[in-house]
Amino acid sequence: MPTTIKVNGVDRTVDVDSDTALLWVLRDVLGMTGTKFGCGMALCGACTVHVDGVATRSCITPIDSVSASEITTIEAIGATAAGAKIQKAWLDREVVQCGYCQSGQIMSASALLASNPHPTDSDIDDAMSGNICRCGTYVRIREAIKQAAQSNGQGG
Amino acid sequence: MILNHLTSPAAGPGRSPSANDFSRRSFLQAGAAAGGGLLLSLRLPFATGDAEAADGFAPNAFIGIGRDGQIVLTMPYVEMGQGTYTSIPMLIAEELEVDLKQVKLEHAPPNEKLYGNPLLGGVQATGNSNAIRAAWQPLRQAGAIARTMLVSAAAKRWNVDPASCRAQSGEVLHPPTGRSITYGKLAADAARVPIPKGVVLKRAEDFKLIGTPAKRLDTPSKVNGTAVYGIDVRPPGVKIATLAQSPVFGGRVKRVDDSAPRLSRACDRSYGSTTPSRSWPTIWGPRRKGWRRW
Repeated sequence: MPTTIKVNGVDRTVDVDSDTALLWVLRDVLGMTGTKFGCGMALCGACTVHVDGVATRSCITPIDSVSASEITTIEAIGATAAGAKIQKAWLDREVVQCGYCQSGQIMSASALLASNPHPTDSDIDDAMSGNICRCGTYVRIREAIKQAAQSNGQGG
Repeated sequence: MILNHLTSPAAGPGRSPSANDFSRRSFLQAGAAAGGGLLLSLRLPFATGDAEAADGFAPNAFIGIGRDGQIVLTMPYVEMGQGTYTSIPMLIAEELEVDLKQVKLEHAPPNEKLYGNPLLGGVQATGNSNAIRAAWQPLRQAGAIARTMLVSAAAKRWNVDPASCRAQSGEVLHPPTGRSITYGKLAADAARVPIPKGVVLKRAEDFKLIGTPAKRLDTPSKVNGTAVYGIDVRPPGVKIATLAQSPVFGGRVKRVDDSAPRLSRACDRSYGSTTPSRSWPTIWGPRRKGWRRW
């Protein structure tokens, strides 16, 4: 049935079953393939998007649960202050290897930075532990989050 | 795993040590690019030396230099995080005397006859650490040949000795007169220059790019969602399949419930172990709901 969702500030009306996962609406219906399918069971984090600013696994998020929400994806995260800082840090630190999980990593990291401008190591662990990287880029991810946090200035 | 069982003939000492060992007839051809630039077509041997053995010329890599100076390399190696999309352009940029960022890379289309990798059983695939080994000599040689042709075209235009010119950062310079001209402006003329013989490749100690750290060229597209992975490709009419496995050993399909409207609309009703469909949600949803009975 037709459902309207707000993706990256734009209202999009899609005709899918009400329990269709947000991930498939983004990828297959709207053609926004930056958000990745990994496990389909919220175990890997590759599909992470923001729902009202909160990092959310889109693969298990039914479309009818987000019709009143603001959804942000990797395609538009650079337009947010935290997202732009994270993307720059990712480039400066050459975080990416194969890159398949990195959309989800960046979405989790930018949600963390938006809510916590100066995260501690344990804050980073808590926020990022659900995002798995088969290439093992974890060390650079942590460095990049710290670099992005430093650009927030002191006093946090 | 299969890669571990393959032989790995190395392009080691004694194998194509100089620029002149390749048969130019089978290795490289030059011509005008669509739109009026220079196009070099070459055959990457995939480290097996098949270029020498081939009867005809079947190029599997192309270097285009457009009138705008943009250098485009089309080649079949896949980037999987190993850095191929950065290291391969380095080989050309080193000898062509351009900045790494001036080389744009395009992936070759599927065509196993052209791009099949003999080290991988003829499949169009990348692996076994053979991209650099195979491309190391021919791509540097192609870069040197292109550079020599561009210098020749500039020397002819200025009516000077090519030896008095040199190439640097995408331009040909004539130091005695202080003149310079971009590759883009020379590309069309260079396409009419005969392929030079005996180009000499740089010695390792003269490398400016190779062996130096570089920012990966594919990273920007991987922090903003624009990189295209295999799962992101949607050819027209593509079918998508899912595998449903019996939860118990030896189980067989008893019943398939395709009554869900979206499922019956999307499926091709081919009930083997897979069910083709046009999109993931149409099969993923029903699969999760247990649309099969065992």
